[in-house]
Amino acid sequence: MRVLIVEDDADVAATLKASLTADEHEVDLAIDGELGENMALNGAYDVIVLDRMLPKKLGVSVVRDLRQQGVSTPVLILSALHDEDHRVEGLNAGANDYLGKPFSTRELLARVRALWHGRGREPLTRLQVGDLEMDLLARIVKRGGKKLDLQPREFRLLEYLMRHAGQTVTRKMLLENVWDYHFDPQTNVIDVHISRLRAKIDRDFSQSLLHTVRGSGYRLEV
Amino acid sequence: MDSKRLQRSPSAGEFRIRQSSFALFRTTTFRLALAQAGLVLAFVAALLLSIYFTTVGQLEAESDAAADGEFASLERVYSEGGMRELNQQATIRAAREGAMLYVLAESSGAVIAGDFQQLPSQPRDSAERVDFRFERPNDEGRVVRGRARGRLGRLLGGPILLVARDMSDDEAITDRITRALWTVAVLGLLLSVASGLIASWFASRRVETIASAALDVMAGDLARRAPVRSDGDEFDGLAEAFNAMLDRIEQLIQATRSAGDAIAHDLRSPLTRFRQRLETALEAPPDVDADREALRKAAEEADRLLEMFAGVLRLARVEASGNWTLQRIDATAILRDLAEFYEPAAEERGLGYRSSIEDGLALSGEAGLFAQAASNLIENAMKYTPSGGCIEVRAWLRPDGRMEFSVLDDGPGIAPGERDRVLERFVRLESARTSPGAGLGLSLVAAVARLHRGGLHLRDGLAIGERHGLGAALVLPAEARH
Repeated sequence: MRVLIVEDDADVAATLKASLTADEHEVDLAIDGELGENMALNGAYDVIVLDRMLPKKLGVSVVRDLRQQGVSTPVLILSALHDEDHRVEGLNAGANDYLGKPFSTRELLARVRALWHGRGREPLTRLQVGDLEMDLLARIVKRGGKKLDLQPREFRLLEYLMRHAGQTVTRKMLLENVWDYHFDPQTNVIDVHISRLRAKIDRDFSQSLLHTVRGSGYRLEV
Repeated sequence: MDSKRLQRSPSAGEFRIRQSSFALFRTTTFRLALAQAGLVLAFVAALLLSIYFTTVGQLEAESDAAADGEFASLERVYSEGGMRELNQQATIRAAREGAMLYVLAESSGAVIAGDFQQLPSQPRDSAERVDFRFERPNDEGRVVRGRARGRLGRLLGGPILLVARDMSDDEAITDRITRALWTVAVLGLLLSVASGLIASWFASRRVETIASAALDVMAGDLARRAPVRSDGDEFDGLAEAFNAMLDRIEQLIQATRSAGDAIAHDLRSPLTRFRQRLETALEAPPDVDADREALRKAAEEADRLLEMFAGVLRLARVEASGNWTLQRIDATAILRDLAEFYEPAAEERGLGYRSSIEDGLALSGEAGLFAQAASNLIENAMKYTPSGGCIEVRAWLRPDGRMEFSVLDDGPGIAPGERDRVLERFVRLESARTSPGAGLGLSLVAAVARLHRGGLHLRDGLAIGERHGLGAALVLPAEARH
């Protein structure tokens, strides 16, 4: 897919470009806000990775103006300012995700992919991965036709994983999207939640669906 | 007394002390005292003038009335008895002892009889008031000088008559009054200037003790404070506020210093390990697996460093308070979610886990920070309680209208004497050095508690036999239940 990186720090930009290229994306670079906005308006990009502090035009203004001009390309804002207020400001301006610096490359790659997959999706009432089915209206989960008994939070965790089936989902993404927590737990809480969920959806079946991606997070796929 | 004044030299931005012996006259108190002295003086002057005119003016009015009466009486003598009778009467009356003076002159002005040899001034046709100075020999032949006031006029047919009253005695009284008034005025002025000087000397001495304390603090003596006397006047108020400010500054400086020391201490070892790992990997013969392992360890080490920096920044931001908007938050919901969030992890570690969160707890706060503070307390208990132990999470509304969220464990606990210390940044008790963590957890909780106008209290936790684990309680002002 085509990714536009708008970042004024040459080192950071080069690293980002290298990682995204290695992840088989086609990458363009813009070094300031105005240039970034023009490129975003004229080029057909799948995802835009936008630094917050940019020369000429700030990242938040770029997103706001792009949205006003009808550009709906998913935008991920990168920022050293990742307190609640700043994040909310960025998301309100129209960004789809917000990642604080410093971040790990894996985290960024996972989020870029998640943004692309999540784009333009119709509101769903049913999710399916292999023989695992989720009915979002009745709030029922079945695997191989057999009903699974999930707690409300486990349901939301599974829903997020199913919506991003086939993609790597990081612990941080789960923490933010399933629990809405924006701090890093010092303990392995997320892993424990995943292993409980895994016990419910995978234990009695020969094929496991919920995989651990070493050093990154988890992936739900057949 | 010399006055020390702060002066900022424009070239080198440094402070020095200027000695000045005229400084007292520039003090505000002295200027105020001087202005007051001016007002007092104006008032005294008005008072004295009015006294002068009522006393001296009265004397003149009385003497004028007496002279006028005498003039009228002689005028009658003349109109009834003619020139001869007038001459006789004037001579008799002039010879009499007394303050009245008489002169009778021909129409040409030549004196016929009376106390003076000549007229003080040329008379007009109608009688008029005269006030003049004179010299004349007295009975013993000595020349006396004096002042007289009276009436001088030409009578019908030409003779000129002067009747005047010698004012010399009155003059003496007037002089005494004037002297007395001047004395009072000068004394008043001196007194108000003196009182101004004394008042400003006292005031500037008090101000100077505060200024000199400030200079000492600037010179590096952070423990120095302005003296406070017991009488509680406005200078004490100033000194107390000033001292409170110095206390806060000293506290902040200490905190920064110890944070700096702690950062240096805590960063040195991971940075050293980081460097060694890279160096060892570089020196060893190339080996993909070993190199990758070294890189992975180095990345972990870097993550720990970054996490620590993030913690420091976050703490600094919470401590700077200003930027946070507090709003009504549903503490019950947040705490129940958190308790539920950590329950599996606690069970996984073989810990007993109980939670009881009351319904309807609400407070004015920042949801993200509150959740983080509460999670730090739970994680802290999980980190330090060995497997087989027990953790209890409770939240309730206390009778004093505050809500308390406490996490109790039966872990090793903290000795009562060390409990205050662990709330400082980066302090991790020696016994805890081996477990991961930046040592910022509890100080962040304490800072969040302060931001919410509450506090973090460390107490005894759950008992196991004689021993107690740790109980950490976040006590915050609650909002009324709906």
